[in-house]
Amino acid sequence: MSTRAEFLRRIRAELARTPALFPATPSLRPAHPREVADTIRRELSERWPATLQRFQQEFERVGGVLHRVATVQEVPSVVGRLARERDARDVLTWHPSALGFDPARGLADEKLTCRTMPEAVPDAAARRALRDTIATTPLGLTGVDVALAETGTMILRSGPGRPRSTSLLPATHVAVFDRTALVESLAQVAVLLEAWHADEASGAVINFITGPSRTADIELTLTRGVHGPKDVHAIFVERPLRE
Amino acid sequence: MSEAELATPFRDRAGRALQDGFLQQALTIATTKFLELRREAFGEFPEGDALRDRARAIKEATLQRLDHYLEQLVDNVERLGGHVHFATTPDDARRIILDIAKRTGTRMAVKSKSMATEEIHLNEALEAAGVTPVETDLGEYIIQLAHERPSHIIAPAIHKTKGQVADLFARELNRPNVPADPEVLTAIARAELREKFLQADMGITGANFAVADAGTVVLVTNEGNGRMVTTLPRVHVAVMGVEKVVPSMTDLAVFLAILAKSATGQKLSVYTTLVRGPRKPEELEGPDEFHLVLLDNGRIAQLGGTLREALYCLRCGACLNVCPVYRSIGGHAYGYTYPGPIGILLTAMLNGAASVKDLAHASSLCGACADACPVRIDIPRMLIELRKEVDEKKIAPWSERVVFTLVAWLLRHPALFRLAAPLARVFQRPFARGGRIERLPLFFGEWTRTRDLPAVAARTFSERWAALEREGR
Ligand code: SF4
Repeated sequence: MSTRAEFLRRIRAELARTPALFPATPSLRPAHPREVADTIRRELSERWPATLQRFQQEFERVGGVLHRVATVQEVPSVVGRLARERDARDVLTWHPSALGFDPARGLADEKLTCRTMPEAVPDAAARRALRDTIATTPLGLTGVDVALAETGTMILRSGPGRPRSTSLLPATHVAVFDRTALVESLAQVAVLLEAWHADEASGAVINFITGPSRTADIELTLTRGVHGPKDVHAIFVERPLRE
Repeated sequence: MSEAELATPFRDRAGRALQDGFLQQALTIATTKFLELRREAFGEFPEGDALRDRARAIKEATLQRLDHYLEQLVDNVERLGGHVHFATTPDDARRIILDIAKRTGTRMAVKSKSMATEEIHLNEALEAAGVTPVETDLGEYIIQLAHERPSHIIAPAIHKTKGQVADLFARELNRPNVPADPEVLTAIARAELREKFLQADMGITGANFAVADAGTVVLVTNEGNGRMVTTLPRVHVAVMGVEKVVPSMTDLAVFLAILAKSATGQKLSVYTTLVRGPRKPEELEGPDEFHLVLLDNGRIAQLGGTLREALYCLRCGACLNVCPVYRSIGGHAYGYTYPGPIGILLTAMLNGAASVKDLAHASSLCGACADACPVRIDIPRMLIELRKEVDEKKIAPWSERVVFTLVAWLLRHPALFRLAAPLARVFQRPFARGGRIERLPLFFGEWTRTRDLPAVAARTFSERWAALEREGR
């Protein structure tokens, strides 16, 4: 079995006898990604309606459904309708601190049982029980860190109160966001990624989600919901969530 | 493909594929569809060409300082609580993974699609060690149930009909009355595999990229199995060729912008998952252990070799879809893990030039692959160099070498060449049909079995030229 030193020594030996195929440099990274990210967000906040329109167009193209509401109070009724259409009685949700609002009351009014993810990590037995809950609940309600218009993608970071499988195991995923999540391009996302990874506290996983889970592995017939959600919905809230 | 099948010559494997009517049709439909979708995706994306140049430059820049970026990657993965292993040979890689399996008491491992684990024949080794490997990409799952090998990098089961899949599920999963309906078949696989995801101890993945300065491994899937296997089992093992490292998140975004467009014509695949080590203490889910296995297997030697450029490859499959040879014979006929034009180069990299002495000629050098490649890999150039290498090492049959040497000598001696033409016209008479020679006797027969030769013309060009000059005067 090789060691790190031996591996690197062989690579260096090979590189020493190989001139470059052509002169090349990697991409120029922002020196202060956080400041650049803030600037981008500020500029974007002025043209969010156009960005939302583009997001909607691309999101629908990949099979997502966008709902638009004025305030966060209207979110539970949209979720309630989606749940009733699917005979679902239980809803998983991120912790209110991660979601930016507390949907429990409103969901109760819709006659739904709200299973809220804890912010603090419980012991191993409770974690196993929670996993079973997540695996058997038909609908998952999450927030969105970035809604990428160019591709209709929702980007979700894992972390306390925002377990990654809430957007994966339920057959229906509903995600809520406001104008502050909208960005236009992958290039802008790159800056955000640079800023996030400079931040030691960020979670273990970042997921880009572009529509429902899909496959074309049998005779190239497009089929949805092979492992992840079959239905993906986004609820855009006009009044910012954290005002 | 089994050793026994590899023992049959490439010609015979290709011949069999050409006679398989369904395979032929499936290949045409699949590759044509991928091509169309790819064209559309890039058609709507004017910055695509510039980004391809950028991506190519990033790959070359990374290779130029591969030691530096790998060190950075290793340090950052370890800082985030992961473990890194170094595997020079497939045997090293298998042993590393089996050790982890043994230490963690792993009985079942769920896998998301990974060419690197195919390359090291991991499933056989796991089975032998008493660990059940379960492929979870739908296409791979079908192939595994059928005990076959993938035929396309992106669509591993395109050679199977829905009827065959239904029969397979009925037989292997003990389910009566399985209809030949992709929707139903997918639902069955979802239910079967959901159980496995929840039971498995270990998740095994490849890596599409690894970001050096973020210690982050990146997985791209459409089905969500990549997310499942990195979320639910206790242990996550990622196996990755050393060339997959990219310097930064800024570089990663460039590749994400072109990878899915080249592969399936999507703007992005459904799921792109960035994994930064094992579960954090403050998080509810994720594996307790994260292992990254860095695989050499012939790659490092090519940093200074003729196949260096093949190390840029993103495994998108675009060069397969445009290749006239691949489109006719499919993936199985190539006989190794990696099919298609890039597959020939990768096979030579992994198994040595001698392993591709037939395959090196399984290309018309038309250049379509290089045009389609998102990082503009000059595949034809390397194929020619590989052919030269194969010939220099005297790996080509002696008869071919003798004849080619003779022809080369004739071409260098115009007087003799002029004499040879009328002679050839006499000798070719029994073999030429409609201006073509399809079969020659003796050892020439081998060469013409798969090629047609134009017959020597009734009047050669130089004879006609001489005649014209006479008339002109
Ligand atoms: S060689 Fe280029 S086109 Fe072929 S699989 Fe690799 S990246 Fe794709």
